Amino acid sequence: MRVIDRKTFYEIALEVVKRSCTRIAPDAITLLRSAYENEKNPAAKRLLEAMIRNAELAVEEDKPVCQSPGYPVIYINFNDDIRIEADIQKIFQKAIVELTKQGYLRPSIVHPITRSNTGDNSGVGVPDIEIGYNPEADFIEFIVSFKGCGAELANVVKVLTPFQVGRGGIGIKRLILEAVANAGGVPCPPVAIGVGIGGQVHTAARLSRRAVSIREWTDANPDPELAELERRLLEAVNSLGIGPGGIGGNTTALTVKVEMAYTHTAICPIAINFHCWVARRCGARIYHDGSIQYIYALHR
Amino acid sequence: MAREVRLSTPLRCEDVVDLNIGDVVYLSGIVYTARDLAHIRIMDYLREGKSPPEDFRGAALFHAGPVVRRKGDMWEVVGVGPTTSMRMEPFSETVLGRLGVKAIIGKGGMGENTLNALKRYCGVYLLSPPGCSVILSKAVRRVLRVHWLDLGIPEAIWVLEVELLGPLIVAMDSHGNSIFREVRERALTTLSRILRE
Repeated sequence: MRVIDRKTFYEIALEVVKRSCTRIAPDAITLLRSAYENEKNPAAKRLLEAMIRNAELAVEEDKPVCQSPGYPVIYINFNDDIRIEADIQKIFQKAIVELTKQGYLRPSIVHPITRSNTGDNSGVGVPDIEIGYNPEADFIEFIVSFKGCGAELANVVKVLTPFQVGRGGIGIKRLILEAVANAGGVPCPPVAIGVGIGGQVHTAARLSRRAVSIREWTDANPDPELAELERRLLEAVNSLGIGPGGIGGNTTALTVKVEMAYTHTAICPIAINFHCWVARRCGARIYHDGSIQYIYALHR
Repeated sequence: MAREVRLSTPLRCEDVVDLNIGDVVYLSGIVYTARDLAHIRIMDYLREGKSPPEDFRGAALFHAGPVVRRKGDMWEVVGVGPTTSMRMEPFSETVLGRLGVKAIIGKGGMGENTLNALKRYCGVYLLSPPGCSVILSKAVRRVLRVHWLDLGIPEAIWVLEVELLGPLIVAMDSHGNSIFREVRERALTTLSRILRE
């Protein structure tokens, strides 16, 4: 059993939270560059150019990529051999508050009803934490994901009946394409779209956020049927022509990611989760020997 | 053909009517940030017969909340960029009509109420590159004033002096044209074709 003490873990958390707000994941940069190459609308091309340049400047100047930090979720995978000697949520909360004080994160967390701002990005339930278990790994790992909230405004959750699912899942495809058309420029396209299908409503919602938060946007789904579905949905979404910033263009989505769980025979819950182009997703893997590696996706 | 235009505040109707969707604007002068809570309080003030903290006639209103650092008595803008304008759709009539704002800067676009008000009161909606706060903040010379900090840093009204803020794309003009409406109509046509296939 290896024990990571509180101080060591806090330092790792601080570094990862800072990295995840001052840079975007390299896979997203790759996709933005090819979107730039493929873009035919000159104004949209100009927006893509600004996005790529902005992401580079954020790293060079050690500044947040976007003025809005979005909302933080931490995905952690534990195992039996490595233990962290601290309350994980409190450690990340402390790191977030510290980086807010240093001017890397705008204080943006408020009471949901009174709208009163805590002033330091602390608050009940923040950051959200999702815990996983990976007994075979010789490491523990986590991803910090700050997802923007313009994108959240476009999200759709629905429980379909078996009839509404339709032949070959046409009802699911319709729901996704309608969500994209209605969203227009609101979710800061080019977007990544996470689709969670199955379980109950909370399962679908959880899977939809995971889909765009713990996978590299350039990866392929290990399930060949879902990989094919992701490819076809991406093609259909981009044929709608919403384009960068919503002003029309060739790339509306950089990727579509689908995660699935089996559900009850009466229902098909589905959640459509938009992620803006600002892929603030960075994490760390801490090995049994104590070495640390920075990562942009969780091991599946 | 799309043009590139440099404008300075305060904006006049003749500055605005010249602009057509697709044109690119670089703006100098003063911009006022305002998000949901500032709009709600302005509405409350007007209802109660009180004056808002600034005269917005000819103003550029930026749907944004900056990242700021305290530097002695001064505020330094670390980053500033657009927030989702659609949330402010219910306030367009007041903002453009009663307050006299001439340019709304934001992202994601706005709806039919705003498009009608832009036409009626001679205004323009400018799209700024979403998520690009490092680039946009380079245009900020200094923070002149801030109002209503009790609403929280993002929701306060920040009065910013800017030089060549941009690129800002004219996405809704004063002649009733909206890039967003055109894009949406095309998308819905394509959607019904895809679903028939």
